[in-house]
Amino acid sequence: MSVSVLRNFSHSEPKSLLAGVLAVLVHLVFVALMIFGLNWKDHPPEGMIVDIWTELPKSVQEPVKTQPPPKQPKPVQESVKPKSEPEPEPPKPEPPKPELTKSEPPKPAPQKATTPPIKKPDIAMKEKPEPIKEAKPDVEEQKKKEREKIKEQERLKELEKQKELEKKKELEKQKELEKQKEFEKQKELEKQKELQKQKEKEQAVQRQREQEAKAQREAEAKRAAQQAAARNQITNEISKYKAMILAKIRSRIVMPPDLPGNPVVEFNVTLLPGGDILDVRLSKSSGHTAFDSAVERAIFLSKPLPLPPDPTLFNEFRNLNITVHYRE
Amino acid sequence: MSTTVTQDMSFLHLISSASLLVQLVMLILVMISLLSWWFIFRKLFVIRNEIKKTDDFEDIFWRGADMNALYQRTTSARYDSGSMERIFAAGFSEFNKHPPGSDLEAVMDSTRRAMRATYQREMDYLESHLSFLATVGSVSPYIGLLGTVWGIMNSFRSLSSVTQATIAHVAPGIAEALIATAMGLFAAIPAVVAYNRYASGTDQLATRFESFMEELSNVLQRRAAG
Repeated sequence: MSVSVLRNFSHSEPKSLLAGVLAVLVHLVFVALMIFGLNWKDHPPEGMIVDIWTELPKSVQEPVKTQPPPKQPKPVQESVKPKSEPEPEPPKPEPPKPELTKSEPPKPAPQKATTPPIKKPDIAMKEKPEPIKEAKPDVEEQKKKEREKIKEQERLKELEKQKELEKKKELEKQKELEKQKEFEKQKELEKQKELQKQKEKEQAVQRQREQEAKAQREAEAKRAAQQAAARNQITNEISKYKAMILAKIRSRIVMPPDLPGNPVVEFNVTLLPGGDILDVRLSKSSGHTAFDSAVERAIFLSKPLPLPPDPTLFNEFRNLNITVHYRE
Repeated sequence: MSTTVTQDMSFLHLISSASLLVQLVMLILVMISLLSWWFIFRKLFVIRNEIKKTDDFEDIFWRGADMNALYQRTTSARYDSGSMERIFAAGFSEFNKHPPGSDLEAVMDSTRRAMRATYQREMDYLESHLSFLATVGSVSPYIGLLGTVWGIMNSFRSLSSVTQATIAHVAPGIAEALIATAMGLFAAIPAVVAYNRYASGTDQLATRFESFMEELSNVLQRRAAG
């Protein structure tokens, strides 16, 4: 036993080949996923076919109006035509049909007309052979007569049948006409109803408009009133504060005694926001310097001058003209 | 890029129509991915095998098996032995080389050294290729990104000649470029996961080996003293 033996222990790596195979397998799976799993865009998107309707309400009306024609008995053109006017497209193919059907019913009528003439000759024949019977009462003639009678009876039966058929047809026609009339009446009623509805709607709209107009007018009046009130308030406020300013100044004046007459002094005062005095200029002297200086001192003493709390009104007070009378 | 809207967007067509550099990047990434997966599976088998063998050996050793018999078994079954067995064999043979009566301290020192040397070698073996996995995990996304950026640059450059730029002009180029990033991530994600897992696995094994070495040296010292 030597260490070299141990050192030579080589690491037998288990299944290194299997590892390689597995690695390749993993990649094959991944590639397969990429190719088949992801649905790569193979087909261009197919263009959508969309019908563009310029007017939506038409599409709603059409089904309503196209339905009646099949219900209506075909011969009625008058009822169809007025409806086809607002809507030219769908009813057009149908009107020709009623004409065709109309031409058909008359056909049986001529047939009827042709059959009656046949009757009449028969009757005439009946009348004619009778005298012959009396003249020649032969067996053969009797047989012939019998045959003729039978024939006549048959003809009469046929005629009756035809008459019945005609009656039935006429009845049907009448019924159809009645139905048509009913339809027309219903339609007219519907139309009237729709018209009424429309009128009501229009009236409602008009009422709404009037109401809105009224409301607007009222609102405008209110606004005007409010504005006027605001203006009044503002002017009141301004005059009030001007009076306050004057009173404050007047209270600070130390009047020089015994001035003759009632001298008046005018000052132009520039104010700062907050009531501070920026500048005081003598715009019109009273002629008595003592009075002028007394008023000027009083103005400076009375700062800050009372100003309205609303800063927007300050513009009215930026340049103040203050007139002070010696005697009130 | 052609001006037609309907492009062949199949995976293979995208790869084959990519620019040269992008194709090169893809090739590199495929190679890296293959290699890293190979190492992932190899390390998986190796570490799983190692853990199993360590479990078995510890089981046998601590059940009180005869050390001489164990040593015989280890040396005879060279290629089938686990790391812990080899550490034990190295220590035991070193311990036995010293004639009885020699200095115990010196004997134990040399035994420990022999075991440590084997331990280092074993750990080196177990941790081999793990650094490769770490490198793949950190670098291959960047390689893929390089390919993607290059491909997108190209696809946008082709837009300059078109008056009306639509997404259809750019889409195929970007798609083919993004395949490079996908490949990079495909290589990186498993590599990072595997690296973390195997690193913790080898760390656990290392602590087991070290504690076994300490315990074995204690046992041998008692044996020499007794």
